[in-house]
Amino acid sequence: MKRRLQAVLIAAALRLVHAALVELQRLDPEVAEELRRLPVGLSYAIHTGHRGPSLIVRWDGKKLLRVSDTSHLVKNTLRFKALAIAFRLFTGQIGLAHAYAQHAFTLSGDIADVMRLARLVNRAEVYLFPFIVTRRILPEQPGPAVSPLRVYARIFYGFFKSAY
Amino acid sequence: MKPAYFEFQNAVKLLCGQNALERIPDELRHLKAERPLLLTDALLLRLGIVSVVQDTMASEGCAPAAVYTDIPVDSSLAAVNRIAAVYRESECDSVVAVGGGSVIDSAKGARLVLSQESDDILSIGGFENLHCGRHIPFIVVPTTAGTGSECTGVAVIRNEQQGVKMEFLSPFVEPDVAVLDARMTLRLPARATASTGIDALCHAIEAATCLQSNPLSSAYCSAAIRLIRANIIEAVQHGTNADARLSMAIAATMAGIAFSNSMVGAVHAIGHALGGVCHVAHAEAMGILLPHVMRYNLPAAAEGYARLLPEMIGWEEAAATPLAERGKAMVQAVEDLLVRLHAKAGIPLRLSEVGVNEQQISRIAETALNDGALIVNPRPMSTQQVADLLRGAF
Repeated sequence: MKRRLQAVLIAAALRLVHAALVELQRLDPEVAEELRRLPVGLSYAIHTGHRGPSLIVRWDGKKLLRVSDTSHLVKNTLRFKALAIAFRLFTGQIGLAHAYAQHAFTLSGDIADVMRLARLVNRAEVYLFPFIVTRRILPEQPGPAVSPLRVYARIFYGFFKSAY
Repeated sequence: MKPAYFEFQNAVKLLCGQNALERIPDELRHLKAERPLLLTDALLLRLGIVSVVQDTMASEGCAPAAVYTDIPVDSSLAAVNRIAAVYRESECDSVVAVGGGSVIDSAKGARLVLSQESDDILSIGGFENLHCGRHIPFIVVPTTAGTGSECTGVAVIRNEQQGVKMEFLSPFVEPDVAVLDARMTLRLPARATASTGIDALCHAIEAATCLQSNPLSSAYCSAAIRLIRANIIEAVQHGTNADARLSMAIAATMAGIAFSNSMVGAVHAIGHALGGVCHVAHAEAMGILLPHVMRYNLPAAAEGYARLLPEMIGWEEAAATPLAERGKAMVQAVEDLLVRLHAKAGIPLRLSEVGVNEQQISRIAETALNDGALIVNPRPMSTQQVADLLRGAF
């Protein structure tokens, strides 16, 4: 039961991070610049534990698309070694840097691409987590460019319109 | 303070000290290897360093099946793939690498290609993603005392097309055997002795203070710094002192074991970018950047630096330093050592001394930001902060 609940929450968190990045492309200059620099066609798959939730995204040059078809070649695959470890990251108990330091995941692909993704995820977390959490897991990260409430509002509207 | 979770691995057998080289054939026999590919570079061949290894191997009835020397400084993806092809063409069954970081990392890359039964190292990039693959017996003989690559699970290889250094991290990159023999470093020039020694010091300081540091790797760091402090000046001034040379080799290996298990930090991230963009020699980049990065990291790493101070300046002097000043004192001690080595061996202290120009700073900073070592630096860095640091080191 505990594992199932963790899986549900991680699946929701993965969707939320993706949605946040889509919205922040318009609202946060850092995210917009980081995405603009991504090579067109760059793709990431994030898998969590044994048969846990996954997220696959691809940058098409204009938008970070969520890809459901896993048959195409994904350039970078991050695989969390256990669901419980991914849960700690996606619930703000640890930051991505600490997850890396704790050997939380493996990577097939290019480390430089993962550094780009790490900066994007860190930036999304500034908006998605309360300040008290981000201050602990993301020290010295610049504050939000717009109100996190505005980002959440746009995300919920986006979900309502099935925009992601 | 111990981390919430850590891992530690070192499966490398160390042959260290008198007649270590002569034991290589016996180790190859234990590994069921008869046809080693000997990897080295043209300079070491010309200097006669390789013939010392070949002669000692021959004295015990062992000869390489092939010798490959076309390894560029900083290695290259193409060289790695070529080495794998030569191994297959020559029907070798093992690898013996004799050289500094470039040779050893090239050998690691080629061994990875071979063990994963691939043709291209780029197809197997990443970290901790590989299965053990086919076992290729692998012996490493370092000819510098700095990289520690003989005992690490990482290979750093230059991507010539992109102008970046790429890291390949896997426990299956670790050699089977590392051979530390003072004969390999006795003729190393003073400047190279000093800069590679500082590379080892940098490994120890970064490994002890980065986000991935752990109690086991920190123990190796402390011991490595103690050995470096006691021997680096002697090794630089009296290069033929075999005892000092071997102590430096041991220190470099210990620092290598440490950073293999806790990573490094911004000195290496920016240093890799300097190598990738401007071809600055790795060890010299470390010496130039180390005090600047330490000063930047002080707000987050002062406690870690303070813990290393007794190893760097001795217990009595460290004890006489006020607790709150020890972090800063560690940075000062590193700077003092660098200035001494600059005076004695001519190691560079500024980027302007190694051919970097200010127009390259933004590209170096952007490249450094995508280096994996940056993620565990104790204090986060933005492109602007890397650029400012580089300007400070000019």
